[in-house]
Amino acid sequence: MKKRIGVFVCHCGINIAGTVDVDKAAKKLAEHQDVEHSVDYVYMCSDPGQNMIKEAIKEKKLDSIVVSCCSPTLHESTFRKAAKEAGINEFQCEIANIREQCSWVHKDKEKATEKAEKITKSAVERVAKNESLEPIGFPVTSRALVIGGGIAGIQAALDIADSGYEVILVEREPSIGGHMIQLSETFPTLDCSQCILTPKMVEVSKHPNIKLMTYSEVQEISGYVGNFNVKILKKPTYVDPDACTLCDDCTEACPVVVPNEFDLGLTGRKAIYIPFPQAIPATFTLDIKNCPGLLPIACGKCADVCEPDAIDYDMEPEVVEEKVGAIVVATGFEQYDKEKMKEYGYGKYPDVLNGLQFERLLSASGPTQGKVLRPSDHKEPKEVVFIQCVGSRDPELHCSYCSKICCMYTAKHAMLYKHHVPDGQAYIFYIDIRSGGKNYEEFVQRTTEEDGVVYLRGKVSKIFEENNKITVWGVDTLTGKEIEINADMVVLAMALTPSKNSQELAKKLKLSTDKDGFLAEAHPKLRPVESITSGMFLAGAAQAPKDIPEVVAQASGAAAKAISILSQEQLFHSPMVAEVNETLCTGCGMCIDVCPYEALSLEQGKAEVNRVLCEGCGTCSATCLRAAVKVKNITPGQIFEMIDASVGG
Amino acid sequence: MVEMEQLQKEAKEILKQGKVKFVIGYSKGSQNLTATPVFIKKPEHTSRLIWDPTCVQNLVKFIVDDKQKQSREKKPDERPVGIVVKGCDSRAINVLIQEKFIDRDDVYILGLSCEELGVVDEKKIAQKLEGKKIEKIEFAKKNNLIVSTKDGEKKIPVKDVLADRCLECKAHFPVIYDQLFGEETEREVKEPYKSIKKTESQSPKKRWDFWKEQLEKCIRCYACRSICPMCYCDECVADSINMAVTAETTAEEKAQKIKWIERSPALSENIGYHLIRAIHLAGRCIDCGECERACPVDIPLRLLNKKLEKAAHELFDYDVGFDHKKPSLISSFKDEDPEDFIR
Ligand SMILES: Cc1cc2nc3c(=O)[nH]c(=O)nc-3n(C[C@H](O)[C@H](O)[C@H](O)COP(=O)(O)OP(=O)(O)OC[C@H]3O[C@@H](n4cnc5c(N)ncnc54)[C@H](O)[C@@H]3O)c2cc1C
Ligand code: SF4
Ligand code: SF4
Repeated sequence: MKKRIGVFVCHCGINIAGTVDVDKAAKKLAEHQDVEHSVDYVYMCSDPGQNMIKEAIKEKKLDSIVVSCCSPTLHESTFRKAAKEAGINEFQCEIANIREQCSWVHKDKEKATEKAEKITKSAVERVAKNESLEPIGFPVTSRALVIGGGIAGIQAALDIADSGYEVILVEREPSIGGHMIQLSETFPTLDCSQCILTPKMVEVSKHPNIKLMTYSEVQEISGYVGNFNVKILKKPTYVDPDACTLCDDCTEACPVVVPNEFDLGLTGRKAIYIPFPQAIPATFTLDIKNCPGLLPIACGKCADVCEPDAIDYDMEPEVVEEKVGAIVVATGFEQYDKEKMKEYGYGKYPDVLNGLQFERLLSASGPTQGKVLRPSDHKEPKEVVFIQCVGSRDPELHCSYCSKICCMYTAKHAMLYKHHVPDGQAYIFYIDIRSGGKNYEEFVQRTTEEDGVVYLRGKVSKIFEENNKITVWGVDTLTGKEIEINADMVVLAMALTPSKNSQELAKKLKLSTDKDGFLAEAHPKLRPVESITSGMFLAGAAQAPKDIPEVVAQASGAAAKAISILSQEQLFHSPMVAEVNETLCTGCGMCIDVCPYEALSLEQGKAEVNRVLCEGCGTCSATCLRAAVKVKNITPGQIFEMIDASVGG
Repeated sequence: MVEMEQLQKEAKEILKQGKVKFVIGYSKGSQNLTATPVFIKKPEHTSRLIWDPTCVQNLVKFIVDDKQKQSREKKPDERPVGIVVKGCDSRAINVLIQEKFIDRDDVYILGLSCEELGVVDEKKIAQKLEGKKIEKIEFAKKNNLIVSTKDGEKKIPVKDVLADRCLECKAHFPVIYDQLFGEETEREVKEPYKSIKKTESQSPKKRWDFWKEQLEKCIRCYACRSICPMCYCDECVADSINMAVTAETTAEEKAQKIKWIERSPALSENIGYHLIRAIHLAGRCIDCGECERACPVDIPLRLLNKKLEKAAHELFDYDVGFDHKKPSLISSFKDEDPEDFIR
């Protein structure tokens, strides 16, 4: 059946009209046998522009349209809506991109015009064979999953739960809190980190809408936006949290001492332990890796002393299946691998610490109750060297990126050190100071003006231990002088990297990662909290290094995005999905192997498409040797005609 | 050494027990050089089976035929088909299983090892005879052929007239079988892609001229497609005439049917046909050489397929037909797959 196609060529001001003779292009397209109407206009996306399209559809009785303008990622939905309002099927509207793919990349007006005509003609050929389609509606499970219980995950979970939706919060470690719970005081206001975080942690544990699963990991995920199926592995803690009265008798009885992760090895803990006093959930965990044996002959001392019989050696790992509609991934960061920082003596000299260890020393709840003391001899350090950019901004050997928060927390460290040791001296080696942020620059200024911190611009060349001191050699690049400081302590501002196994998790969730392994957002500017997989959102340092205010803002953003899905009764999926011609399909299953969205399966010897999973990418169509599977409205026949038109046919 | 008697005995046994519906094998060629395919249904006929270097055909195509016939039958005999295969042919079976066209249980495989030989190339023999017509051919002891022409008998060592593909064969014994006859002997292949060496070294222009000349000859008889065990589709995308029209086929579908190439044996259409076919055989062709043997106008079709076989091996570490449990080349993807050719 012959169609009645309308063509609308946009000038986009001079964006297009500067390089493409839009009038000529519109006239040329009018010659096409299926084109009933072809015009140009200065801004098609403006209200008058859209009205012009709508009127033409009605007056000229058009049944399909091509808008020749910018990329379809920008205005396809605008024009499809306009088409629908004018009474034609929205999938009878196609976009010809003559801006990004033509006017912006060419100079020669004549040739660009010719190319614009071909691009438009190819869209005309496509729309000539378009079917009218209706979006595919499907129901939504209005619950969310939040992965990672740092401040990002906590904030996102609370925001979603407060809006009335159920949330499952999965945390790998025995307690929520993430890195923030380890910090002492936080820049730029120096409020106590635990004091501001613990109320939120308690809120999580008490919230009727939050199901907290600590010591758990996401094992498997399937499904699609609105309807994900998640398998969560709950690792055994060997302690019944309901029976445990937190008497602490077990830790006294336990004979095994291992480095305490919470204090980054500055203290020890027992094999049965509670990570920190305010841990949520408040219960003990038996660390099976370090426990000599569950059999009473091996040890079993904790069970002997436990009065309420809360220790259960027979506890098994449990896999819990949950259905959710949206997912927020907030798996946070890690400090750069210490193995790679041997050159700074980290791991070799006890008084060379990383930033988080120094946070623990400063913390009132830390190993020294907030006194700054050297781990080696418990003496107060009188000279401390802080080194910034350890592992950051070093594309040759380490990470090429800036870890963003180290300038600020190093300034904080130096300042807090001075508050603890007023007669001490702090030196900071830096490349440059990045203190963008509300009140951040003022904060850095205070360290030099009020606390006499000495900033040395330059790199450290060598660190070694000598006479109970740590000698730091470096160069001050501003004066050109070589510097030697005999310090009592060195603190390294380690680069931030994605948390361990985050690649593995990304694979499971089909999220992409950037070159540094952080989770990739869908668009760096316009979709910073969305992932490329619809229904999955990113929050916190898992996406890029950032400080708490930014983390919290992003978490609330991710929560809002998740809520926008959970609050729908029905979601709609593009009907431009694959379709199998059963007569041609031989059931070889190659398409099933290649489909990146697992949308295909073999049913009774023939390929079958799950229309909601299918993203219409066309990989199957390109793979099938029998041309048995095609994507609606972008069929091989249409592509053939489009190629023909593009090459001038 | 493959004992012919053992092969016949095993064939007889499985027919007697009713394990297979029939056995497809080779029998003596009537007068010409090559052996003749034979379908044996009765145990007493198994003495007709032979095995020697004249068994050139890939009999797997008959499994494809049988499978297609079965799908049209109301009450198909579901017993497996017994089949005699060489190394190359066995790989064709693997590909068919990989592509779920047949199940492993659909075939009972009598595998033959080519050991140090292979099969002969008729054209090479003809060259040796300088155009004289063969009256009789006999496979004699010590791996010789005794060929009779009007001028009397001539002794030709098989090694001198082996098919090129046998000289380049990476696995001259079956990689999948129920019964194996002969030894899995080692044999060194010095140049597995020798036949394409020449064309590869030529300039694009020279190659283009060469293929133009070759494909110009094609009369589009489709013999290559008909003989290929991998060409089992009901509708061939490379051929616009043959479209599977069923009761459900709508007028729209018929109208939407794309003619990728026209029927006429013009050069452009011939190129289209052969290139589509070659691409559709990438990672599927097991180099049985049947297309080239069947071609009445001597187009060296093996060269196209060999080139793709080499690309699959070198770029994707993929050798065709060795493991039916692996995904096929086209449908498998590895993170380390090269992509520097995408620009
Ligand atoms: C030394 C130092 C000092 C700092 N000082 C300040 C400061 O003063 N002010 C400030 O604003 N910011 C500061 N920061 C930054 C701050 O710590 C981070 O911005 C914040 O902790 C990031 O929160 P998050 O939730 O994204 O990540 P995290 O705190 O890393 O939390 C991630 C959580 O996810 C869990 N997890 C990881 N993988 C999985 C998985 N696969 N499954 C389930 N759970 C998982 C982890 O166990 C963890 O609990 C400092 C950082 C450092 C290193
Ligand atoms: S690739 Fe084609 S023939 Fe094979 S199962 Fe998929 S649709 Fe069917
Ligand atoms: S179009 Fe893409 S997503 Fe849809 S079935 Fe085919 S391969 Fe899968």
